[in-house]
Amino acid sequence: MTSFALLFTLSAVGIAEMVYLIRTRVAAEQPICPIGGGCQIVLTSKWSKIFVIPNDILGLLNYIGIAFLSAFLVIDIGPTNLWFLFLEIIIAATSLLSLFFVYLQWKIIKAWCFWCVMSACTFWLMGVIILVSAIA
Amino acid sequence: MKRTSFHILRVGVAITFIWIGVLIFKTPEAWGGYLQPWAAGLLPIPIAQAMIGTAILDIAIGLLLLIDSFVWLAALVGAIHIIIVLTVSGITDITVRDIAIFTVAIALMAESLPKTFTDKIMSWQKQENNGRPPEIN
Repeated sequence: MTSFALLFTLSAVGIAEMVYLIRTRVAAEQPICPIGGGCQIVLTSKWSKIFVIPNDILGLLNYIGIAFLSAFLVIDIGPTNLWFLFLEIIIAATSLLSLFFVYLQWKIIKAWCFWCVMSACTFWLMGVIILVSAIA
Repeated sequence: MKRTSFHILRVGVAITFIWIGVLIFKTPEAWGGYLQPWAAGLLPIPIAQAMIGTAILDIAIGLLLLIDSFVWLAALVGAIHIIIVLTVSGITDITVRDIAIFTVAIALMAESLPKTFTDKIMSWQKQENNGRPPEIN
């Protein structure tokens, strides 16, 4: 229960963050960049989309999926084993993808985006929570 | 209020509302147990159904706060909702924390009121001040 509550909380933070990024992109505004200062460079780079879908939309869908799956597991709506497997797969995949995006910012784009790094940390933290809950 | 503080409060309260909604969905009857007998007697529908309605309202308030849309309305409804909760369940060891959620909801509402509304209040205040006789010291 505690691990799912944490996953739900982190996904809610992620949803708020992604909605902010989508809104600023749609309004053609520059997002506030508290640390790093390279948000605009990263968010307008050619790596800001996977095929034609912007990463912020993919991130939002991901966070919504995690929020729903953790809520289903808390409420105990079956099939819980399948939901947990989906949760593990989504978090593992996005944690690895986040590693790739951080590498891109570091070595290829050579600029840091606060929101992207925060999102990566959120997914890694989710991964740690899943690992710890599996061990415990 | 600084924008950063506003957004931290907004997301924090949003998570609280959504999470409470999810928990009520899990065991609506148990949450109905917090209702005082007089309040439960007033309900025209079974407690479980009323609690599911409350869960939907909580989640809706939380979602609006989370996506930063109609924050003033969500915060207003949230504050009224908390007042009703405190009235029907009384201030107990658990519900005493709702006072904090209530005050945060009020702060969020005050910070996000539409400009047309705040302008109207300002113009009323100005009219009132203009009509008042000068103070004699």
